[in-house]
Amino acid sequence: MSYSRVIPIFAASFAVIYVLAVEFNWAVVTYHPRLGEWEWLTKPAKTGPAMYWFGWLITSFVAAGAISLAALPITGRWTPPVWIGWAVPLAVMLGFVYLLRSFFLR
Amino acid sequence: MITTLLIIHGLLAVALLGSITHQTASTVWPAKSAGNFLVSFRGVSAARYTTTNIVLYVIVAVLGAIIYPAYRLAVRPFLESARLLTINGTFELKEQFVAIGLGMLPLYWLVWRTPLDPKLSGARVAVTSLLCFVVWYSFLVGHVLNNVRGLFGR
Repeated sequence: MSYSRVIPIFAASFAVIYVLAVEFNWAVVTYHPRLGEWEWLTKPAKTGPAMYWFGWLITSFVAAGAISLAALPITGRWTPPVWIGWAVPLAVMLGFVYLLRSFFLR
Repeated sequence: MITTLLIIHGLLAVALLGSITHQTASTVWPAKSAGNFLVSFRGVSAARYTTTNIVLYVIVAVLGAIIYPAYRLAVRPFLESARLLTINGTFELKEQFVAIGLGMLPLYWLVWRTPLDPKLSGARVAVTSLLCFVVWYSFLVGHVLNNVRGLFGR
């Protein structure tokens, strides 16, 4: 069993989970910068804005790690193609350009 | 404190920019022989940059995350009040690109693991080019935002 075989799966699943986390606001933590307060899970803004980016990152790392571990037994008899590890993130990056198009199209 | 961190963030970003550009140039367009400045720029041992690039990417991202709340409280409200929607959008893209780049670092390490696997040469070009793009984009956006009041202040 080689851990390096699941790395392309980690990169691809990280990107997909990240875009889902941003779209559906799946944040493990919320930070309130004005108050300097951290809260578990997605919480609305209190005084000043709420920041979810840290929470989206943690969600993505944990979920992609779990998916990679779950895929580990399969990779004993199947080697995931390396290209999914860069093609999926590239597609997600292009997806973000589309999702954020309102900033650029007026 | 934030200004000091911002300067360190910028300086380390410059180091990362140079390091990953060297590696990308030598991967995408390898030099066949010694020659002028451009050939020498590409004629480096690309694999040797990998660990440094990973460490720099993580440190620059962590420093960026530390100074991000100050941006959220001071800079973004200015962008919104000045209706600098495009500039605001470029930063929104930057934070997403940097995050995706973080998730690609293990793959980047894998494709550059020595001895280099010839079967992964295409993946090396793709992964390194993509990370190089993320670093260049982030650097340029950060640089413009750092000077946004001077460039776009009204």
